[in-house]
Amino acid sequence: MARFHDLTVTDVHKTIRDAVVVTLTPDDPEAFDFIQGQYLTFRRDFDGEELRRSYSICAGKPEGVLQVGIKRVEGGAFSTWANEELKVGDRVQALPPMGGFHTPLDPASARNYLGFAGGSGITPVLSIIKTTLAAEPQSSFTLVYANKGVNTIMFREELEDLKNLYMGRFNVIHILEADAQEIDLFTGLVTEEKCAELFKGWIDIESVDMTYICGPEPMMLGIAKALRDHGLSDAQIKFELFASAQPGRLKRKAVSQDAASAANQATISVSLDGSTRTVTVGKDVSVLDAALDNSIDAPYACKAGVCSTCRCRVLEGEVEMVTNHALEDYEVAKGYVLSCQSFPVTDRVVVDYDQ
Amino acid sequence: MDMSIEDYLSKGGVLTSPANVPPRYRGELMKLMAIFVDSELAGAAGFADVINAGPGIKERIAAARIVLEKTDHAEKVLRIMGEFGADTARYANHHPWTARLDRNADIGVNRSAHDMRLAVFNYPLQGWGDAVAMNLLMGRAVGVQLAEFQLVSYQPLAEAFRAIAPVESRHAELAEEGLERLISEGQGEALQASVAYWWPRVEGSFGQAESAKFESLRAMGLRRSTNAELRQRWQAEAQGALTRVGLERP
Repeated sequence: MARFHDLTVTDVHKTIRDAVVVTLTPDDPEAFDFIQGQYLTFRRDFDGEELRRSYSICAGKPEGVLQVGIKRVEGGAFSTWANEELKVGDRVQALPPMGGFHTPLDPASARNYLGFAGGSGITPVLSIIKTTLAAEPQSSFTLVYANKGVNTIMFREELEDLKNLYMGRFNVIHILEADAQEIDLFTGLVTEEKCAELFKGWIDIESVDMTYICGPEPMMLGIAKALRDHGLSDAQIKFELFASAQPGRLKRKAVSQDAASAANQATISVSLDGSTRTVTVGKDVSVLDAALDNSIDAPYACKAGVCSTCRCRVLEGEVEMVTNHALEDYEVAKGYVLSCQSFPVTDRVVVDYDQ
Repeated sequence: MDMSIEDYLSKGGVLTSPANVPPRYRGELMKLMAIFVDSELAGAAGFADVINAGPGIKERIAAARIVLEKTDHAEKVLRIMGEFGADTARYANHHPWTARLDRNADIGVNRSAHDMRLAVFNYPLQGWGDAVAMNLLMGRAVGVQLAEFQLVSYQPLAEAFRAIAPVESRHAELAEEGLERLISEGQGEALQASVAYWWPRVEGSFGQAESAKFESLRAMGLRRSTNAELRQRWQAEAQGALTRVGLERP
């Protein structure tokens, strides 16, 4: 299992009003030898509750630094903290780089790449652009970059610099939702229709070998549809769903009122796929078996406490989890259990597979 | 611009890391991966015993290669389960993958209570020819399943299956070549009996025609074709392969 490492913040600077670029020096540099397009998962305690958030690396491989971009999300505890309080010298904890938003590079090949980024979706795409153009001297990259307006464009200057550095090999098309531009086509949202228009004159879609998309969900759907309609296969379309999809703050587990009693029967209320059923079983029956025995189609696989397929959340009451090789302490602290290994302790237990 | 993950998935969206996977999706995705991993591990374990029964060095190499590659495929998918928290080292050894039931055990299409392997992998192979016949029919079934699962909405798994599919398809080709040779040596009758034994068992691995779950799995982007559609595709492909080598569909 991956474990958290300590890193020191060596630089923090704003790229736009509400986004920072954070440079980090890991205590163990080998553990952070990333691949372009990967992300780091940070953890931090907020009011006694651990939050984990993932942010993409924006640095290219040749730069030799570890850098992430963090855009402030309305109501987001971690991103607000990073934007307002994080400073040089602070220590943070992160898991080693993860994620599969990359394809193998080959210095000998001459490929045409096409990237789409929406807002802070630029961070992994920027890492890919910098790394690819440096590693493949004959390849070219076109970026379609969607933003609200000129002043919300993250890394605008860096992208201009890249255009000059890789003259003729790197091209950016800015699409702005609110600000009018000289060319009408470059105003509005990046939709399926907008892509089809771009493919008519601005982008030679038939010559494209590989595409990368990172942005909000509706934008990714529209672009992917347009790419498929223009003959690209699923293997040529790489997605990265960005941070907005991360689950929000978890509620605290309700404190159980009833104490354990002498009776060896328990009623377990099981929520699955939005419906709830209550079953009565002996306390020697696992929560999973209680559900399965009553024709509730709860997910499971190994039944040995190693795979975590049967994970559910205890909302009320108490269970004893006899084996756990899969859940981490912070998940257990939030009330998650492996239902195949959990036996009722209190007379009433409420579990939810939908959380 | 806000769109729920459920809405996004039902419109064909793709998820990319454990961090953006909703709980119910997680459960079903893990189950799908466990079925694949367990079937590959059990299939490889069963086939390992057959290597020595290969009539010549070429056959033994082919069998050993199949065992190696199926184990490798299990590892590729188990690694993705690991990213969701599964203890991969323990998982690989939590069950005796060589365990088989009696040749005539009547378990229908039900899985055993202990692991997620497809029911067909609970039956023992009987000698070289039987193993090759089973490998042809199951190899074709894996091909049909992988064509479907290369399109799953969890991008890392879809990519793993895209890498695995051509290698598994080569296993079915090796089986077809093996059968041709055995038939040219006059073993057609015994092979036809093996085909009769394995056909209904492989057919059963496609599950029930009417699955209540199907719609919710389809909404999550974890399924496209129904069990019945996949079974039909397999029937046509497997029958074609049998005809090519001179055997009949039971």
